[in-house]
Amino acid sequence: MKVVKPKGPEIFDIELEKDLLAKNRNLAKENRKRFDHLKITAIDVMGSIGSGKTSLIKALLKKLNMGESVGVIAGDLTTTIDAERIREEGARVIQINTGKECHLDAHLVGQAIERMSLSGIDILFIENVGNLICPGEFPLGAHKRIVVTSTTEGPYTLIKHPYIFRQADVIVLNKIDLAKAMKLNPSQLEKDSRKINPQAPFIRTNAIKGTGIPEILRSLKFKT
Amino acid sequence: MHEFSISSEIAKTVLDTAEENKGIRVLSILLEIGEMTLLSVEQVKFWVQELLKGSIAEGAEINIKTIRVRIQCEFCQHQGRPFFDQQEGVGHLGPYCCPKCKSFQVKVKKGGGCTLRQIRMVR
Ligand SMILES: Nc1nc2c(ncn2[C@@H]2O[C@H](COP(=O)(O)OP(=O)(O)OP(=O)(O)O)[C@@H](O)[C@H]2O)c(=O)[nH]1
Ligand SMILES: [Mg+2]
Ligand SMILES: [Zn+2]
Repeated sequence: MKVVKPKGPEIFDIELEKDLLAKNRNLAKENRKRFDHLKITAIDVMGSIGSGKTSLIKALLKKLNMGESVGVIAGDLTTTIDAERIREEGARVIQINTGKECHLDAHLVGQAIERMSLSGIDILFIENVGNLICPGEFPLGAHKRIVVTSTTEGPYTLIKHPYIFRQADVIVLNKIDLAKAMKLNPSQLEKDSRKINPQAPFIRTNAIKGTGIPEILRSLKFKT
Repeated sequence: MHEFSISSEIAKTVLDTAEENKGIRVLSILLEIGEMTLLSVEQVKFWVQELLKGSIAEGAEINIKTIRVRIQCEFCQHQGRPFFDQQEGVGHLGPYCCPKCKSFQVKVKKGGGCTLRQIRMVR
């Protein structure tokens, strides 16, 4: 910070270079340190509203069958619905209500892991608020990021929101059972996915039946 | 959509910095917003003004400079504006690639941030 030449008797310019996104990035680093220290693998699950983030987490929990050694942070604007749904699978769940914020941030996650008892937890899923725009700008400190979209959102989701998909370690196309009814060609979305983010595997799932769930676990390098 | 949280951060930083420097009135601020942040300049302006109401920075002029995206290709090392490979009108939201070799493996060198540059104040 630098205070420069008075423009008048009492007027000063403060020149600075304050990166306003840096605070979240630094808090994300702290969260990551915390996870590493406790040997927890944290997974940020992002995606559109209703794309099946909760259903997918439920299916992953079922397959992992690790009970209380998996934790879930459920982000939601105001309700506890998703937290209740996840609790049914026997995982340790904590709810974060973001109120009118459209995304989780590293600070909220930091608070949640303060409140949550993390001892004995090996894997932590963090369900972000349904949104394909904002969560991309706010890393939480997770080791991996999954972005979930679904066939009912139409054929242009990836092309319209490349920014968030570019940050994904795994891209999931859910509700694959409905592709035909939606007159949607999943291969086209896969092609977009390859183009936007060639490194991330593109996995087709049916979260209700469990199709594609082992592939997700494999790409996250979890033993099943 | 994430304008509100960024604006809160901006307002807080302006007031903290002014106080730290014994300011009694903030006249204007200068922000640089990168295209890649997907922040709406109009909304940021509105929220910052709104959040500064009732403070020593109420009514301060909010100047915003948009920083255009510049990329570096990780494949051929070309640096410059990205190439938008899509129909017109989608702007920087669209998928972009290296204009030279059309690789999508590009790094954003500029235009990815939101920076508070200057606070003009009376002390
Ligand atoms: N047919 C079909 N329906 C699915 C599938 N996955 C989820 N659903 C349904 O889609 C709806 C939304 O699923 P959720 O898991 O709540 O989606 P979400 O992304 O967590 O939603 P929000 O947290 O509200 O953004 C529910 O009615 C699910 O039963 C699927 O693979 N196929
Ligand atoms: Mg949900
Ligand atoms: Zn290139």
